[in-house]
Amino acid sequence: MDVLIQIVASGLTLGAMYAVATIGLSLVYGSLNMLNMAHGAILTLGGYICYAAIVHAGLHPVLALLAAALVCALVGLLIYFSAALPLLRAENFETNIFIATIGIGSVIENLMLKGFGPYPIPQPLAVDGQVVIGNVHIPLQNVFILGVAIVLMAAVAILLQRTSTGRAIRATSMNREAAQLMGVRVGRVYAQVLALSGALAAVSGIMISSIATLTPVMGGDPMLKAFIVCVVAGLGNVYGAVIAAIALGLLEAATQYVLGVRWSFATLLLLVILVLIWRPYGLFGKQQVVRL
Amino acid sequence: MVDAALDIINASAGYSGRIVLDAIKLSARKGELTAIVGPNGHGKSTLLKAISGLVPVTSGEIRLDGLRIDRLRPDQIVERGVIQVPQGDLLFPAMTVHENLLMGAYANSGRLAERLDFVFTLLPRLKERRNQTAGTLSGGERRMCGIGRGLMAGGEVLMLDEPSLGLAPIVIEHIYEVIFNLRREGRTILLVEENAERIAEHADMIHLLDNGRIAWSGLGAELMARPEIVETYLGV
Repeated sequence: MDVLIQIVASGLTLGAMYAVATIGLSLVYGSLNMLNMAHGAILTLGGYICYAAIVHAGLHPVLALLAAALVCALVGLLIYFSAALPLLRAENFETNIFIATIGIGSVIENLMLKGFGPYPIPQPLAVDGQVVIGNVHIPLQNVFILGVAIVLMAAVAILLQRTSTGRAIRATSMNREAAQLMGVRVGRVYAQVLALSGALAAVSGIMISSIATLTPVMGGDPMLKAFIVCVVAGLGNVYGAVIAAIALGLLEAATQYVLGVRWSFATLLLLVILVLIWRPYGLFGKQQVVRL
Repeated sequence: MVDAALDIINASAGYSGRIVLDAIKLSARKGELTAIVGPNGHGKSTLLKAISGLVPVTSGEIRLDGLRIDRLRPDQIVERGVIQVPQGDLLFPAMTVHENLLMGAYANSGRLAERLDFVFTLLPRLKERRNQTAGTLSGGERRMCGIGRGLMAGGEVLMLDEPSLGLAPIVIEHIYEVIFNLRREGRTILLVEENAERIAEHADMIHLLDNGRIAWSGLGAELMARPEIVETYLGV
């Protein structure tokens, strides 16, 4: 029983972090057909900004988190105006933006390397204490991460489902031309989505660095996991991504316990292969069916 | 032309260098049903797309109530009241019927409840299906949802691109009944249709679009009285 609680607790924390890292990626792919390869670097930048805001600027941790989200949202906007907007006017947008964002990610990563050095730094935004369930001690930090992730996911869901802006984002991702015919200014939607994705990446970077450490390359692993989650869920399906993220987090925690840490990533990849053989369009992706 | 809502003045348009529309000149008058007929692939849909700003107008002008709209973005054209119900509906499949209708009012959300009421009265089937996702509707229901969504915008000019496409005859009849009713209520409608016979009686003005040019313009009854034109261009 204790083992189960332990697995569920760490699985949920992992899943929550993956989910927040994935939502932004999935939203951007869903609306722009753009695989943002700079997502991992933005996520890391969020962690560093939070660190710098607390340690160097002496900001309150909550303000530091907001500052990181704001800066990364601006980076998202910058990517829109400097790369996505000009490339949207040319052909082969998907390939071009893929390569362009690899470049942007590399620039951000190297700027962080120059600014903060290559050595791991602890993230000062941490919550002390623990919760005891049975004989299992769960760090309060993990509970906190789960809580923040749930609040963020709920906020994104409300934004997408209940607001006119959210409906415009969904409409654009379902059919760009139809959205334009409704009077949606798709350029603005793209900018909003990239900014939102940047802000979410920042929070996810802060979460991840708070239970690991900050290094300029720390974004690579969560971005890879986020891609896996996206592919398993069906690219661009935000709600599917949240479910897949939590399921993969739980699976990772269980594999780590049963088979050992070194098998966890291999198991994830095996699962992706199986899912894609079974459903090439992802678990929650839909084949286009048209009734006449 | 005092009462023209939409004026297309020698407008040419096309895709990446290929001219599809060549110096088109026509008007949609206020409160009238103007129809554009012609064979497939001769520019009818491109014309509506050019009016909506989805295809760039390379020369000539498009004016709404005398003001140029051909240099505006698609969203600005919608804001000015030129609404298109595109071919094949282009609904938002994962949204409910209700959400699709709300999207119709995205650019102009005033008097939302009143418009929703109007659409539900005109197309009661949509009310029954309001919480169903659009992707699960039948072909006829999808078309009604597309038209309802267009009406939600409360625009000045309603453009419909082949509303009969792919539907069973009985459903087509119903859809056209709705469109002719809108005309009787005084809506300005620009309708694209392949089958001239279907609309000849009700259209105030018919333009025959052939190979990107207006080949003939006149009243519906006049077109039907010219069997040689109907046969040459429309293959009836």
